[in-house]
Parts: sequence; structure tokens; C-alpha cells
Amino acid sequence: MRRILVVEDSAATRSFVRSALEDGGDLGPFDIVEATSGFDALRLLPRGPYDLVITDINMPDINGLELVQFIRKSDRHRSTALIIISTQSSEKDRARGLSLGADDYLAKPLDPEALLSTVQRLLTNRPAAG
Amino acid sequence: MADLVAPGRSDAQRGIKLRGPRVEYLAFKLGSDTYGVPIGEVREILKLPPVTEVPRAPGEILGVVSVRGLLVTVMSLRARLRLVSSESSRKGRILLVMGAHEEVIGLYVDEVLQVYRLAESEIEVAASVLGGRLGDYIVGIGRPEGALLTLLDLRPILGRTDPAGRDAT
Amino acid sequence: MADMGDKAREEFFSEAHEIIEGLSRDLLQLDSSRGKGPVDPELVNNIFRAVHTLKGLAGLFGAARMSALSHELENVLDDLRLGKIELSQAALDLLFRGVTIYGRILAVEKGTRSDPLSDIDEFLRELADLSESQSDDAPISGAFYELDPGLLAVLTEYEEHRLRTNIEQGQSLFRLRVRFELATIDAALSTLKTKAKPHGEIITYLPTGEGAEADSIELDILMASKASLDVLRSLLGGEQAQIEEVPRRSPSAKDPVLVPSRLGSHGPSHDPLPYASAHPASAPPRPKAVAQRPGALPKTASTAAMAAEVSLRSVTQTVRVDIRKLDLLMNIVGELSIVRNAIGRLTESVRKSPELREIGMELYRLHRGFERQLADLQSGILEVRMVPLGQLFDKLARVVRQISREADKDVNLVITGAETEVDKLIVEELSDPLMHMIRNAIDHAIEARIERERVGKPAVGTIALNAFQKASHVVIEVEDDGKGIDESKLVSAAVKRGLLAQEEVTELVHREVLNLVFIPGLSTKSDVGELSGRGVGMDVVKTNIGKLGGIIDIYSERGIGTKFTVTLPITLAIISALIVQVEGRTFAVPLASVQEAIWLDPAALRRVEGQEMMTLRGATLPLCRINELFALSSVGKTKTRPYAVVVSVGARRLGLVVDELIGQQDIVIKPLGPSLKRVKGFAGATELGDQRVALVLDAPALIEEAFLGGGDAVVGASYG
Repeated sequence: MRRILVVEDSAATRSFVRSALEDGGDLGPFDIVEATSGFDALRLLPRGPYDLVITDINMPDINGLELVQFIRKSDRHRSTALIIISTQSSEKDRARGLSLGADDYLAKPLDPEALLSTVQRLLTNRPAAG
Repeated sequence: MADLVAPGRSDAQRGIKLRGPRVEYLAFKLGSDTYGVPIGEVREILKLPPVTEVPRAPGEILGVVSVRGLLVTVMSLRARLRLVSSESSRKGRILLVMGAHEEVIGLYVDEVLQVYRLAESEIEVAASVLGGRLGDYIVGIGRPEGALLTLLDLRPILGRTDPAGRDAT
Repeated sequence: MADMGDKAREEFFSEAHEIIEGLSRDLLQLDSSRGKGPVDPELVNNIFRAVHTLKGLAGLFGAARMSALSHELENVLDDLRLGKIELSQAALDLLFRGVTIYGRILAVEKGTRSDPLSDIDEFLRELADLSESQSDDAPISGAFYELDPGLLAVLTEYEEHRLRTNIEQGQSLFRLRVRFELATIDAALSTLKTKAKPHGEIITYLPTGEGAEADSIELDILMASKASLDVLRSLLGGEQAQIEEVPRRSPSAKDPVLVPSRLGSHGPSHDPLPYASAHPASAPPRPKAVAQRPGALPKTASTAAMAAEVSLRSVTQTVRVDIRKLDLLMNIVGELSIVRNAIGRLTESVRKSPELREIGMELYRLHRGFERQLADLQSGILEVRMVPLGQLFDKLARVVRQISREADKDVNLVITGAETEVDKLIVEELSDPLMHMIRNAIDHAIEARIERERVGKPAVGTIALNAFQKASHVVIEVEDDGKGIDESKLVSAAVKRGLLAQEEVTELVHREVLNLVFIPGLSTKSDVGELSGRGVGMDVVKTNIGKLGGIIDIYSERGIGTKFTVTLPITLAIISALIVQVEGRTFAVPLASVQEAIWLDPAALRRVEGQEMMTLRGATLPLCRINELFALSSVGKTKTRPYAVVVSVGARRLGLVVDELIGQQDIVIKPLGPSLKRVKGFAGATELGDQRVALVLDAPALIEEAFLGGGDAVVGASYG
């Protein structure tokens, strides 16, 4: 089963993402792991490997961009698929996230169908990580 | 098309005769003999572009050519198989195939004939092991419509180590 | 509201409520502290953050009114944070009203209240009036901070705002390096925050990714504070934390614009980098480099001298590109070059014809323009392919750690010039040779601790990797302070193996002796390791570097150390070449190797011990007839006087005898496939136009061949 790490400080948003992705569609159900902050993500990353990390950008302390950079620099997770979530208006954040190595972005408000299809697109043709 | 459909025979009878999956072979001439390789092996067939000879290369290497910017080594298949050499013909063609180490190689043949669709039953598998420098490169003899093709396995000829041969359809 | 699962709905409401309650509490606190001193920025920030989160939630769940309300509140709070508006009673009242309205909206969405909410629009207008519009790009006056772009690149817009705020308030910036155990990080972090809060604001925490251990994490923390470095150090510093101030420069007269100033060429005279946890150079005089323990510093510290003014207007924008796409673009440029050359030839023909004079001139002008722009495109793409050597050096640093552990030796790797850029392909091909050299250095050259101490060297050995640009080349030095090469042993080994005749020994110059290290066949791991301080494979290293169009030189002193110098062309793909013809076949000779081309005067030729040569400006030049070398069949044309293309590598020269010089041309070298890898003497092939292919000669290899095969005469003669 493919594993997705969702990093998001808002519980409601985490729930939202979980309900949008859990069934998984063609790729089968996903195992969704939730991190409540950048630090939490750092704690959970060693328990990988993960097929995909979805992270909000605007989080306090360690923000999503810093997490993206950290992931891309690490040997272990360098090739994990990465999606960033940004607010609609922050183009700069999106651009930075992509240039730091995120594979794709989604803007809030999140559309559950767009979320699922982006995830499927990124994970198809990739062998499962674990 | 080598579909052998003799009028009057029942399907069942035809089925029995043409047993097994069909494989398509590209037939070509080396000298006066006809050979065949699975069509799936041939990526492209080229008319002869200017070939630049490469000094100090092994004898069977004719040289290099440029195919839309890609540099391709051209080898004389005749020379590679240690057959008697003959004159170059106007009808000579280069078959682009996949060689060892994922390198595209050009095989020079004297003339390209046609594609034959052979059923298993039309192929006589080579009984003896040829051995020698190139190993077992002869798969067998194909006899479509009265023609005679010596069927080649390119893998030992090119030094490839992939397990199952590329399948032709 | 959007359709979502029941659970998600529940969570939405509960989270929203929680946030609003927190908002309320904070506002009350703000109210009570008003007039009793400066406004607590953290409080305002918290409130801002809460509203920001509500905005996000609202968007997520499609609560449009909540979204709109949040948006306006956010603007007001932003202005408050930046000090653009005062925290007046009126402003506070508006904020309180906003909280109430949030409550109402939620109740309506939940369905527990019916409320037309008609007064919302009016309220939003009031909010809008209160906040002033503000452009993101307000230039910052005041001091400029030398903050490295790597850090700027990972700040969110929000964090940028906060940074800007602090700068505008005249705060100083500090960077803290702290390591936390992941297991206890929450508590430790909380302690740090509590200690830091009275003194300033923490902008962001960046995990450095250093020290890849799973149970601890190192953070680079950016903080703004009015306190001094010493105060902060005493408060927050300790074993686990290092603090430095971000240096400040006085503003220049002009508007702030991001101007990264590149660190100039290689500098053994570096300014000490801000975080040098000073390991003073324990290296002996020859490897002169600045101490920089691998892994002790952020990778961007080597570019820390790259000053970046904190105008926050623009940050180094980068795009990741698949190298295959660049290869494709390079191919297209190559094809365009061929077209350009063909057009050039056509233009010449047209110009020769009097009737087509005007067309000819027009064509000529167009061709020149095309030529210029193609050259620009070409250099543009080549620049894109350039990557800093730092990537490779980092990898080597890890290798050093590993090998020195295995060899049980203490080795310090010192790196300079990591920002030097080189074609990506070259970097990839360099990886093995450099790793090889370093491995040899650690295994064989650097002595064991005891031995080093005995001869008075520091127990820790040093390997220095220096890179710098020199004209159109890049130079990489690999230096060690090991035992150096024992020349006499090297020579006797060569003689013993028949690679050198006893009589030749005395003639060998110091440099040539050292170069014996590169000869294949001189090495079996065990003896050479002891003899020369170098193990197997230097011949392979040399060949590989030659394939890149580079050369490698060696310098060594017994007891002191050894230095290898690798000189490489900066880019690989497109080079200038001299096109020649021999017996009707066309060849290309890379111009980088060509010293000159001269007419051969048959009277000036002579043979010495079977080797043909001539005198060039008083020095002997050995010759090599290409048609003989390659056994080219004659095409029977009557020949005019042949030419000699004089190629050189280092101090060695060779004259390649050819029939005709066609001209000079930029070519794209394509490598010959693996099927031809055993063929020596060619660096690749190139397409000249209308599908004709010419082989590119490998000058260093041909010189090598002549040297090895030609015996004394060549050796003696080749040092022109």
C-alpha cells in the first residue's frame, strides 16, 4: 500500500485531505500518515519510506518550503513525490516551492477531485516505495 | 502475407497446420543468401548515408553515420558472421538495431526483402549447436511460401545479454 | 458550504471555534495592555496568524463570507503589525466586532441560527477603510543585511513580511545553530522560545540536513532582536547552540537591487567565513587552504561571501532542469551551427557572382546576424549546463569521512572554490577520477598517526580540494600532506618492469619521473602503494581526464606532500576545431590542442632513429603522418605541399602531417559509442553538414602514443 505523509497544522484540513484520498482510486487505498507541524514531519520522516509527501506551506516554525528543501537534500527521501499546498494568492510561495523541488502544487481552497487526480498522476508509473 | 489459406480446407485443418503464435521476420540478403530477424528488433531501415570509416576499428566495422544527429556505428553483418564477402550493392541498407550497452547499432545488409509472418510450425529449429565465436546465433530455418530464411538471434551477434528475445508482433 | 464528509465538517467547526476563542482571548489581552507600553508584536502576530488560518479553512470548506471577512481582517492586522496604523480604540472595536461576526457566520453555516448577516458588507467596508493599501515591494531603507540567498529562498511570504517588519524597526538579525534530539524537541524548543521571546522575534527555523542521524536534528534559526550578540549568547548560547550576527552594511546611494557579488577566483586568502568553528589550518605550507571542516557549515556558507542585500524584492530564482532537455537543446544548437555553416558557404558562392551582388550582400548581413545570435544562444545554453563543483565536493567529503574511518586515519578535507562552475557532464565524469585520487591519498599517501607524529607532522592529515577558474579553463587541485613520492623507487620499479631503459634514467627530468605514475603497467597495488604513495589506476584517471579534454599534472616532494593539478575546459559540448583532410578523409582537431599549423618544407625533414622530425624555430618537432598512422588508403590525388598541425599537451609537441587545411569551425563533439571504445586516438566525431561525419582527433592521446612508442628520439625531441 502506498504511503502518504500529510503535513498540515490545521486538523480540519488534514481531515479533509484524508477523506479525499483515503480510497485512492486505481492505485488502491493509501496509508495516510498525519504530521501536525514541520517538526512532527521531521519526526515521522525516518519512519518512511513514503511515496508522497503533501505539505502546507504556511506553517509556523518550520514552514513547508523549508521542509521541501530538507526532503530534497536528504539522500533517503530525495526522490519522494512532493506536493505543496499554498493559498490562492501566494505565487511567490508556489514558485519557491517548485524551484526547491516540489513536484506539483495545489492552491486552497482545495478541490478534492483535483487533489486525488494530482496524487494519482504523480504516483502512477512510480514503483511503491516501501 | 504468409497466411496459408488453401481453398477448401476447413478451419480446423488449417488450425492444425498453422499451429502456434506467429512471429514476423524481416528478410534480407547477405550475399546470395537470405536471412531473417524478428521485425521487433529492427528500429529503422535506412538507405545508405555517407559512412565515415573509423581507422583502427575491428574489420567488421564499416564506420559511423549520423542519423538525425545521432552518431551510429555501422557494422557489416556479413563480416560479423564471417561469411564470404562480396561487392557492395546499390541496394544495401542499414538496419538500426539495439546493441549491447543500450547502444544503437547499424547493421549493413546487401538488400532488404520483405516481412514474413511465420507460424511456429514453419520454423525448423536448429538442431545442432553452432558454437564458435558468436555462439548460437542461428535460431532455425524458416520456410514461408517456399522461400528459405536462415533465422538469426541478434543477441549473441551483438553481444547483448538480455534474457528473452525481443518479441515481434 | 462545500460538500464534505461528516467527520470533516465536525472538525472544521471544532477547529474554527477553537481558533476564534483563542482570538478572543488574545484580543482581550491586547485591549488590556493598550496604553501600558509598546504593543507586543507576538500577540499581534498570533492574532494575525489565527485570522490567516481561518481564511485558509474558510476557503477549504467554501465558506465564502468567512473568507471575505478574514481577508479584510488580515489586512488590518497586517497594517497593525507594520505599524502603519495605530492600535486605537476604534481599531480594537472593529476587531472585536469581527470576532462576533465570525461566531454568527459559523452558527449560520452549522444551521443552528438563521441570520441574514446583511450587515457584513457594511462592516467589511469599514475594515477596508481602516487599512491602507500597501504594496509588497516597498523598498526598504536603512541598513542592508548580508543574508544568504539560500535562507531567503525558503522563507514564505508571510515570514518575509515579518523579516521586513523587524528590519524596518531597526532590529539586528542573528542566526543560531542548534541541535535538538528529536525525542525531546518539543520541550527543548519550548524552552528556547520562552527564553528568546522577551528579546526578539524568531522568524523561521530551517532544518539544515546536516549530520544525517535519525534521532537528532540541526536547525538554522533566524532571529531578530534589539539585544546585542553577547547578551543573546549568554542567554541562549551553550554547547548545543552557536550564535552569530548577520553582518550589516550601510546602504548605498542607489536603490536596493539584488546584486550577488561572486567570490572571485580561487582564494587561499579567504576572509574567515562567519561560522568557521576555527580549526586553524593545521596543514603544512604547501597545501594552502582555509580550514573548513566538512559538514560544520551550511553548504551555503561557502557562498556566504556572496552578499545579498535584503531588499526582499527578488531572490535568486532557480528552475530545476532535466539534463536531457539541455542535451536536446544543445543538439538543436549543433544542428543550427551546421545550417549556419552551410549558409555561410552558400553566401560566399552567391557573393562571387556579379549578377547576384545585392542578394549576396543582403545574405551576408543576415548570415552575420544569425551567426551572432546563434553564438549567444549557444553560450546561454552552455551556461545553463553549468553547475557548481560544490555538489561533487560534498559527495567527496562524505567519501573522505568513510574512507578515513576504514583506513583508521584522521583526515581533514579542506575545500575551496566549491562555487566554481563547470559543465554538468564534466562534473559527472570527474566524480570517479577525483574519488580515486582521494582514496589513494588516504590509503597510501597519508601516513598513519604514529608515523606522522614521528616526523613532526600533525596527527591529522589534510587533503585540500581547490577549484578555480583560469581563462577558459577550470583548475582543480588535489593536494595532500602525506609522504610524497619516492622518485628513486618509482624509477627503479619502472626499469624493473621494462618500461624504462637504464640509460634513459639519468636523462629523465624530475617532472618526467613523477609522470611515470601515470603509466599503465607500473602498478600492482601492493608495491606501488609503498613505492610511490599512489595505488592502482592513475593511468585510468589520466585517460578519463584526457577524454574530457583535460590534462593532469603532478608535483610532489618527499616527506611533504603531493599535489595533482587537473586542468579542464569549462564546457565540453561545442568546441572550436581545425578541419583538415588526409587522403580525402576529413578530420577535426580541437583548437585547444593546436599550437599552430605550418607548411612542411620537404627539405627541412629528417629522420632520427626511424622517427621523422623537423626543426621549428630552433627546436626539434617530431612528426606523425596521419595517413600512415591510420593506414589510410591513398586516393591518388596529386598532393601539394602538406601541412603539419602542431599539437601540444603540456610541454610535449607533435606535428600531425595532413594534406589540406580546410578551415576553422565550431563543432559539436559527439562521443563514439561503446562499440568503438577500444579504438584509440579519437575524441569523438562530429557532423559537418549534409550528414557527413568527421572524426575528431584526440591530440593528447596521439602525443602519448608517439611518446611511448617512439623511443628516445621522441622523448628527447618532444620537449620543444
